[in-house]
Amino acid sequence: MSPGGLIITAVLLGLFVAAGGAYGILYAAGQLRRSAPLARAAQGCYALQLLITLAVCLGSPLALPWKVFLAASAAAYGFIPPLMWRLLETMHRAGKEMRFP
Amino acid sequence: MYRSQRLALRYFTAAITLFGVMTAAGLLSALYYVEPSLLYNVFDFQMAKILHIDTLVIWLLMGFIGAVYWFLPKELGRETVGIALAEVLFWVFCAAVAVVAAVFILVQYGASNQFSMWFINQGRKYVEAPRWAAVGIVIVVLTFVYNVTMTAWRARKMTGVLWVLIIDLVPLTVLYLDAFPQMTNMSQDLYWWWWLVHMWVEATWEVLIGCLMAWSLMELMGTSRKIVEAWLYIEVMLVLGTGILGLGHHYFWIGTPQYWLGIGGFFSALEPLPLLGMVVHAVYDAGAHHMKTTNRPAFYWVLAEAFGNFIGAGIWGFMMTLPQINLYSHGTQWTVSHGHFAFWGAYGCGVIAMVYLVLQHTRGTTPLDSRAWKWSFALLNLGMLGMVGGLLVAGIAQAFYGRAQGGSTLQAFVVASENHWFQSGMYARLVFGILFSVGYVVLVYDLLAIGRRAAIAAPPQASVA
Repeated sequence: MSPGGLIITAVLLGLFVAAGGAYGILYAAGQLRRSAPLARAAQGCYALQLLITLAVCLGSPLALPWKVFLAASAAAYGFIPPLMWRLLETMHRAGKEMRFP
Repeated sequence: MYRSQRLALRYFTAAITLFGVMTAAGLLSALYYVEPSLLYNVFDFQMAKILHIDTLVIWLLMGFIGAVYWFLPKELGRETVGIALAEVLFWVFCAAVAVVAAVFILVQYGASNQFSMWFINQGRKYVEAPRWAAVGIVIVVLTFVYNVTMTAWRARKMTGVLWVLIIDLVPLTVLYLDAFPQMTNMSQDLYWWWWLVHMWVEATWEVLIGCLMAWSLMELMGTSRKIVEAWLYIEVMLVLGTGILGLGHHYFWIGTPQYWLGIGGFFSALEPLPLLGMVVHAVYDAGAHHMKTTNRPAFYWVLAEAFGNFIGAGIWGFMMTLPQINLYSHGTQWTVSHGHFAFWGAYGCGVIAMVYLVLQHTRGTTPLDSRAWKWSFALLNLGMLGMVGGLLVAGIAQAFYGRAQGGSTLQAFVVASENHWFQSGMYARLVFGILFSVGYVVLVYDLLAIGRRAAIAAPPQASVA
């Protein structure tokens, strides 16, 4: 791997997770406040994550299996916040208060 | 208050003191990078580093033990079994830490023989404590495990959090035994040594802090047991599922089989996924309570734990965990940057949150608030962000100039170390390290002062066992 390729790929990978995290946070905040702008911002972050995935897949010197893995991860990032939100809502609805004795 | 909880307060005091020693030793270590001849042949870099990383392990461990001793009687409604022995061992533990620190500072090193291993330095990074102290740590931890298990047994009660905790304490203890073997083959030695370091930090400690956070959330936000336990099971499954085999991401340059690199890269690249779930959960909880709580310091430190874990372990880790990157970044300041951020986010913030949680009870103050905690929160987190930023720049310079461009030769290492990006990064680390240290001082002031004035104005009712 060339020195430049190393740095660019590493930075893109960091941004990949950062964009996924921002998507998760904004998605959750959007659901909490029932805010359309926040929901759009969340979608924007996820779109950015997909773009980063594309950039890594097309432009980075990573081996093919890692590019496939990254694409699969990007898909998983898309599902995790909505699934997690649904799970949390279900748990909180069903949760009976049972605190410390 | 139970005796177990009084013991917890002692553990927290010791933990915060050692946090200070760790910070001071870290600051000194940072100074060596900008002034390499500092204290040359008097107190060299490696000794400051040993103090820095060993106290890191011990202050967090003491914080965890303290938190368990605090929550256990609340959970089971009875005094901890074997509390008298635990109290004695606390002082033995503190004395042993003090003696080991004095030996590190005054004696520093010895000849390569059995005496040095038993009485000066065992020679394994993170677990350098000489053999006698290592045996002592095993005794303290075994007593702790016995106390926790027997308390649950005698109480004839077992909760989900306790099950997870007790099961987790078994590998946590057994893995420490990895500090003992004397292997002459360096590859074998490092292979097993990583089991200890990795499985503690990225598996058993994660589960332990998960249990402590579960108790903290019930206490802090009144979250129901059913919810925190369900979440704990999911977290444990995901963290262990991705964390255990992530072990392979350490197996670079030490002679382990190549297949480990792919395995390690794959599983550690999955690690941000459960962390993303935790961040969504943190936003949910914060929103569900409209950011309102009677203990804002603890609440904000819990949030810092969730976000810090995601950024430090997730983003910083993913940047360098795939084998083609790790090959170059491994062992540079880049790794140090990730290590600082991840430890701070995953564990440091969590222990501080629990100390504030406990202080609210001991001071009998509702709500618990002050100006100082905001300053310490800002200074510590800003200091940490600056440090990891500086280390990241320095580490990237090392990977670029020393590894990828220079081919990992000694000459390339020197060239990278003289590069202005590397040096600027190390200066930045020092400056932000000072900021972090100021934050620590403010934190100690706040821990001593917070809630006292209100408590004096309205004395709390005597707590009962």
